[in-house]
Amino acid sequence: MSSQRHENTDVPPLTESIAPGTATDPPIGSDEPSTLTVDGTTVTVSASATLIDAIEAVETEDTVPALCHYDRQDIGPRSECRTCMVETDEHGVVPACSFPATDGLEVETAADDAALARDVNLDLVLSDHNLRCTTCGKNGRCELQDAAIENEVEEPRYGVLDDRDAYEPMDDSSSFIQIDRNKCILCNRCVEACNDVQVEGVLRMEGQGQDTRIGFQSEAETMADSTCVSCGHCVTVCPTGALVEKGIEDATTIPLPGFTQKNSIGEAYEQSEQTDGPMTPKKRAEATNEHNDSERSSSHRTDGENDDGGSWP
Amino acid sequence: MIFPTSDEDVLVRISDRNPSRELLDGVAGADCTVVEVGSTGFPAVEPLVSVTRGERTTFHAQCSPEEIQEFVALADDSSRADTAAVVEHDPETTTFPAPELFGLDTGVRRVLGGCGWRRPTHPDDHEAAGGFASVASEAVASLARQLRGRGWGDWRHDQRLIDAWRPAMEADSAAVVVNAHGTTADTLLLSSVPFEVLEGANAAARAVGADRIVVYTADNDAALTVNEAAENYPNPCASVDVVGGPSEYRAAEPTMALEAIEGNHRIEARLRPPGPEVSGLHGDPTLVHTARTFAQLAVAVRDGFAESRLVTVTGDVAVPATVEVPESDTIETALDAVDIDGEFKAACVGGRFGGITTELDIDVAPDTLANADLGTEGTVRIITEDQCVVAFIGNKTQFAADENCGRCVPCREGTTQLANQLRAIYDGDYDSDGIEELVRVMDLSSICAFGKQAGRPTRTAMAAFESEFAAHADGRCPAGSCFDRNFAVS
Ligand code: SF4
Ligand code: SF4
Ligand code: SF4
Ligand code: FES
Repeated sequence: MSSQRHENTDVPPLTESIAPGTATDPPIGSDEPSTLTVDGTTVTVSASATLIDAIEAVETEDTVPALCHYDRQDIGPRSECRTCMVETDEHGVVPACSFPATDGLEVETAADDAALARDVNLDLVLSDHNLRCTTCGKNGRCELQDAAIENEVEEPRYGVLDDRDAYEPMDDSSSFIQIDRNKCILCNRCVEACNDVQVEGVLRMEGQGQDTRIGFQSEAETMADSTCVSCGHCVTVCPTGALVEKGIEDATTIPLPGFTQKNSIGEAYEQSEQTDGPMTPKKRAEATNEHNDSERSSSHRTDGENDDGGSWP
Repeated sequence: MIFPTSDEDVLVRISDRNPSRELLDGVAGADCTVVEVGSTGFPAVEPLVSVTRGERTTFHAQCSPEEIQEFVALADDSSRADTAAVVEHDPETTTFPAPELFGLDTGVRRVLGGCGWRRPTHPDDHEAAGGFASVASEAVASLARQLRGRGWGDWRHDQRLIDAWRPAMEADSAAVVVNAHGTTADTLLLSSVPFEVLEGANAAARAVGADRIVVYTADNDAALTVNEAAENYPNPCASVDVVGGPSEYRAAEPTMALEAIEGNHRIEARLRPPGPEVSGLHGDPTLVHTARTFAQLAVAVRDGFAESRLVTVTGDVAVPATVEVPESDTIETALDAVDIDGEFKAACVGGRFGGITTELDIDVAPDTLANADLGTEGTVRIITEDQCVVAFIGNKTQFAADENCGRCVPCREGTTQLANQLRAIYDGDYDSDGIEELVRVMDLSSICAFGKQAGRPTRTAMAAFESEFAAHADGRCPAGSCFDRNFAVS
């Protein structure tokens, strides 16, 4: 795999038809630099900065994990993990990664509510995470692992995703990228890398509630069936072991005989055909205009104020 | 407005959401004028046929096609008190002259005044009621300084409108969104008095210099009605589009409404700040208020500022009803409009994620409700003695876990863990501190009001029904509905 675009994949990007499934967030920040204080230290940040820039510039009282924050290539802020909450004198508890820095604001990292929110939210992220670090290709270079260690998480309040029946099958279908959605924190970096940076329009956010997941705009079920060109950008930005480069998926696992990253889930979509190039069959088909749109169907529990439905417990 | 012209002239109004063809045919050929008016907010009495002759109107509830001809003929005969009520009124009244029957006289009728009386899409009816008068923008802005947004679909929910109007006033291009998604009251306004809503939106658009109005609803019939009214609107100051949205509950959230209007196939909340007042529809400063808010604005422009609240009572009642209650009156007032199916136990006050209370002697003013940890969404859901409160909030929590947009951790994962914590009670593990901690963090750190409010039913139910929670931890359901379903009825 290479992080270069492959020259032989001569498919024009179609920005108009890209549907990442995410909301159009407003632009954030002011036009001018601002000076504020973080835990009593005065700091000046540049125009369009958010509070996280100020926090990163000083020695803070408490650690601020800011798990989903990514400050390169115009990716983010997605501001979804809420492990960056801080207290401000003017606006109460706010997410540092996406809250605009303004003159005179006083930011406190150690305030009770903010510290509690960071702590609980980190545990909530872990509650939905397959924490099998020993067989993970990102062991030792995982941002979630780092955050958990730095925050001295001993026993997450809500446990970890440990129910094999609830695991999504591993997508091992592509020759270049392996997807383990059980390790995805839905930070959306890969979606933005694929759509906004590479303009490939392969990945999207889909679903709702617990079914929210990274999927494919082409409605494909597997990476091999998607329109991926294997540029690898999504893998580069992924903070966890959810997207790993094939070939090194077991590079950092603890060598236990018979136990690998791939079989750690139990079920996997296997690679079905050896592809000749970085283009998936779907992408090749699309290049020759054979791509068909399929309809999305959905069923939801609807309506404003009538029965919640369900049959508790 | 259409009025009877002489004492012999008979005017028949058929009030219903969707009057049947048969009912209209039933009166065909009679010597009278028949008009269709929208719902009164009381589906229990509809189709409601009112027969006006001079200063007297006779009302017939739940009128069938067979009965209507007879009712019209008997308009003078007030002896038929079983189905009819008679009201003497100013012959030119533009406000529904509510009879003292069926709970129809509950509360006041300012915003709801035209419901069941004026023809929804006829501008002359609205004009006769004082509508379409030209008002100075300063007067509108000054009302926006007092008026608060109604409902969670309003970007200024419970807050004064004006602060969210300033960026639009300074911008070259701005939009107004009428968010009528989700609540019965908003749908009622669009269907029965669309001109009140459109007039409020026009007044706001003129005051801030907005060039377009978008009416957003998930209700097809209401969309058709408001669309027709918009086409008949004399001299609108901005273009009006009616856009249908998906019916999911969350699609009423102001930024999700914008996403739906812009055509996104997947509906999730936008980040804030800044909110839609700075960057809204297609990036322009946008006013997002509910139909209730705009109708209040229109009526305040015309009749002066006097706050009232639309309250829909639903749940364990024979038929739900929507009434208008002055802010100085209590929730109890609204209950006069319904028949409770059983013995009152509690109410969920303030919409889907409202607060649970046994106490209804509380003003419907937003500050009073907030102090009692109740919601101002406008819907009061009645729970009767045979219902289990733990199961009630369990279902709400599971709904929240299934229906959130999936964007942020405190809501997406928090609602799921909260449902787990509530299920754990059934296994004897009632961790009230843990539940309170989680609900607090959901409220503190969720992106939008969905996640902030999703824990309120649990928080308030734990306070009001502590013993029921403890009983469940002991394997007992006081309402007899949770354990051993098969034996509960024996
Ligand atoms: S999904 Fe494929 S095309 Fe998109 S960023 Fe990842 S490797 Fe590149
Ligand atoms: S796959 Fe990785 S980059 Fe993509 S949303 Fe999940 S954690 Fe983030
Ligand atoms: S609070 Fe819930 S509905 Fe709102 S953005 Fe977060 S996940 Fe979505
Ligand atoms: S880093 Fe701010 S919400 Fe994730």
